[in-house]
Amino acid sequence: MTLMSKLREALLGLRAGRVTLPYPLAARPVPARFRGRPIFDPVKCTGCGGCANNCPAREILLFDLCQEIRILHYLGRRCTYCGRCADVCPEKAITMSHEFENATNSIGDIQQRLELFMSTCQRCGRCFKEPTPLEQLKLKGYRDDDLQNELWVFRSQAYREKEPAVRDVEIELD
Amino acid sequence: MAAPDILKRLKDKAGPAIQRADLPDERRLFVFVEPSALKGLCQFIFRDLDARYIISIGADDRPHSGRFLVAHNFAFDKEHVLCSLLARLPADQPRVESISDVVPAANWAEREFRDLVGIEPVGHPYPKRLVLPDGWPEGVHPLRKDVRWDCVPPGYDEHREFTFDEPPPGCVVVPFGPFHPTLDEPEHFRLYVEGEVVRGCEYRGFMVHRGIEKLAESVLTYNDIPMAAERICGICGCVHNVTYAQAVEQAAAIRPPERAEYIRTIMLELERLHSHLLWVGLAGHIVGFDTLFMQAFRIREPIMWAAEKISGNRKTYSLCLIGGVRWDLTDELKAELHAVLDRLETEWRAVAAVVSRDRNVQKRTRGVGVASRELVKNAALIGPVARASGCDIDCRRDHPYAAYDRVDFNVVVEQDGDVWARLLVRVQEVFESIKIIRQCLQQMPDGPIQLALADELPADRLGLSSVEAPRGECHHFVLTGEQNRPRRWRVRAPTYQNLQGVPAMIKDQQLADMTISLGSIDPCFSCTDRLETIDLRSGVTRVYSQAELLKLVRTRQANQR
Amino acid sequence: MNLLATIALGLLNAATVLLAAPLGEGLLRKLTARIQSRQGPPLLQPYYDLLKLLCKEDLEAGQVPSMQRFAACLAFAAVVAVAWLVPMGAPAPLNAHADVVLLIYLLSLCSISTLLAGLAAGSTFSLLGISREMMAMVALEPLLAVALVVGAVHEKSLRLEAVLSGSVYGAAGFPWSGLLTLLAVLLAFQAFVQRAPFDMAEAETELMEGPLLEYSGPKLALFKYARQAKLMVYCALFVALFAPWGLGLGQPLAWLWFWAKVGVLVLLVTAIAATHARYRIDQALRYLGGLLGVALAALVLATFGY
Repeated sequence: MTLMSKLREALLGLRAGRVTLPYPLAARPVPARFRGRPIFDPVKCTGCGGCANNCPAREILLFDLCQEIRILHYLGRRCTYCGRCADVCPEKAITMSHEFENATNSIGDIQQRLELFMSTCQRCGRCFKEPTPLEQLKLKGYRDDDLQNELWVFRSQAYREKEPAVRDVEIELD
Repeated sequence: MAAPDILKRLKDKAGPAIQRADLPDERRLFVFVEPSALKGLCQFIFRDLDARYIISIGADDRPHSGRFLVAHNFAFDKEHVLCSLLARLPADQPRVESISDVVPAANWAEREFRDLVGIEPVGHPYPKRLVLPDGWPEGVHPLRKDVRWDCVPPGYDEHREFTFDEPPPGCVVVPFGPFHPTLDEPEHFRLYVEGEVVRGCEYRGFMVHRGIEKLAESVLTYNDIPMAAERICGICGCVHNVTYAQAVEQAAAIRPPERAEYIRTIMLELERLHSHLLWVGLAGHIVGFDTLFMQAFRIREPIMWAAEKISGNRKTYSLCLIGGVRWDLTDELKAELHAVLDRLETEWRAVAAVVSRDRNVQKRTRGVGVASRELVKNAALIGPVARASGCDIDCRRDHPYAAYDRVDFNVVVEQDGDVWARLLVRVQEVFESIKIIRQCLQQMPDGPIQLALADELPADRLGLSSVEAPRGECHHFVLTGEQNRPRRWRVRAPTYQNLQGVPAMIKDQQLADMTISLGSIDPCFSCTDRLETIDLRSGVTRVYSQAELLKLVRTRQANQR
Repeated sequence: MNLLATIALGLLNAATVLLAAPLGEGLLRKLTARIQSRQGPPLLQPYYDLLKLLCKEDLEAGQVPSMQRFAACLAFAAVVAVAWLVPMGAPAPLNAHADVVLLIYLLSLCSISTLLAGLAAGSTFSLLGISREMMAMVALEPLLAVALVVGAVHEKSLRLEAVLSGSVYGAAGFPWSGLLTLLAVLLAFQAFVQRAPFDMAEAETELMEGPLLEYSGPKLALFKYARQAKLMVYCALFVALFAPWGLGLGQPLAWLWFWAKVGVLVLLVTAIAATHARYRIDQALRYLGGLLGVALAALVLATFGY
């Protein structure tokens, strides 16, 4: 009978109680494997470019400023949080954090730019990154307060962008 | 009758017209025929051998073979064979005989390759634009290899409006979409209504066409494409992800590890669970029964949490790579999944018991949106829509993939073919899915979840994969290529076929039933819109002229300024 | 009643209806939410919604904006006017100046204002919505009229105080006609107040809100307020006609008792609305037509004194 089934439907709902979560008034914890915003660790990163090669959205760019400086730029616009960059990174320098509240109107909040100081191989001349922080400290130009040595580091003009490659989002409020 | 037998029957019928036949295994058949014999063979397969039509594909193969390629895919469900009839067309004159008069279900697919690849289906009963908007210039076919993926052709008029057909006399035009509270995605059903009765409709969609296939063929690589494929749909992404991976694996003759197959099965069934529960809620909302909507979504929520614990995201699992999966199931996760399934089963049994006796809901769904068996055959409808009309087809049993050949389950079939039957089918399939997941959790062997692929995948291989999505059969066709990407990738989502049956289902029904009839095929327009659109039409009389209606809309807009 | 008492009582009725209507809506939403296992909006949310809408810009959308404004005001005014004719725990204010016929006309005016609203908007969906509304009206108004006439037949008078005091049970012996009328009106009550399963005129998923499609801001506020007040007024009418007992308790107890009964009726409406799917217009018409037949049978019985 319809009346009985309707009564039972109402009871079903009432018995289940209230399932409304208090978010955003209370924090909502996420599971361990949750794929939030990727965080790049400049200490561990060796500049291999595996993440850039494997990003399906092509949102990680690698740019060689000069012989010793490689820029890794995570643009974060089309990032789909798939986690491939974290999977392929040989140094485990990328973590898929638990941050999901990423809305912002300033793209700079999400972008990450890593300046990687690379040594040169004595045999072939190509860049590589020193394996330990102690070795990295010995590199020319690594210490910010070493102004004398700063002069020896060639800075490309291209790096001093007058206009940012990606503009902040402007929202018009009437 | 396995693939070799089917091939023999084709050879008996067509003889010398068959140029080449590939049988990678017992379940796949690729037959290259002469273009002139294509239509006859398709008719033979569709009518005499009683195969099910899947899709027609057009491809630009000129950089490699100097020719265009046309393929018609069919499924032999009882023989467990997927078959593709291919023909190479000359580059200067890509014309092929249309098969839409013998296989009505091919209507959209042929209009699609006419728009996107420029292969002309000669004799098509309704050669109107499907995917490309009316403002797109002639002669620029996006899927051709000489057109860049980010090209905006000169002469593209983005403000040109769609040209609709004339409505039949005597009917009012009721526009349904692109913005409508019921619809999550934009599409336009132009209903021709007489009083409260729908006499016909014209469909115009593909408004969110994102060009995923073109991207896959130009910019992405084999392992990037699963991430793009799973974003084809907002509900059934895992299906596309898995189907693509399986198609490439079949083309490259790769077998993923057994544990990976079981994990794929589990995630696919989890997706089916959440999709069916969502649909039951949505159907309730469409008929004004919001309580069923809320309850279905409440019961569904633990599945989303379980999926998030396993894969890191509630819906976009990013599960597959070529040769395996990315996420493994630990023992804690297995135990949690068992608990979720137990709770889900108890609650869903209660809901199913109550809803199945609810005469109020039955009054709105019985006898509504009926699809006859003939319509199912001619329009090649699939999934719960076909199963509710008495057709016993299910890709999990007919074309086994992943671990489905190692688990037991029933295929739920109803006879009435109306919305109520589809509701019952989906409600019952939830229990079958729970059964499958439990068996997988029990039988899952230990081992690796990803193959280490050392070599590049071979080029010029064909792969077909059919997966039973919650909405029906999801079918991918892959032609592998160079530079680590496919040469042609064609996605046929289930809603693509089911939408073609909608005008027949809503004809001569009440307007109020239109939404629930459309909703009962569980439409996923995002899935459909990666390709072309089709419209259907019927004869209805017109009260307002199109100009008058446009004037109405424009004066309103002008007043608002 | 002298003029001052009439005006005071009328204003009290109108003010109570207007103040209680959003609260009734809030109760409705809260109970619906509990049945749907969720928290639901705060109880006072409808007040905030109305305030928000009233403060918005009065956009002109639709075919005839002046007619739209008129329709919104008419809807609101008609419902408030009915409040002056219904005894709400005290005698009806306009007792000496109006009768049941005027009540029927004013109630029809509420529906007619919705028709005007849809016509003035002029979009396809509004026109479809008002065609449904018209069809529903054709079935509903006679039902209410017949119920009131049953009472009038028993009391042999069309005066408000006579009819709206449980007059349907006025038969000499067992009140057959009264019970039949009660059954008919009770089963059709959801249609009177336009809630599920009979809310097809404003079906969001089918018609994009139907007649109210082109309304926003203050006009929409008036319509929403009118709809909420309509629920209150109809519940009050029902209680006055079918469950008027306890009026002799003396003020203000009788007044409170009356509104408690109205509250119970609102909860009943909510429970039914939350657990039902919407019917199609043809199904609804068949159902209401059947109930009209039952009411007519009650009328026949009433004329014969049963």
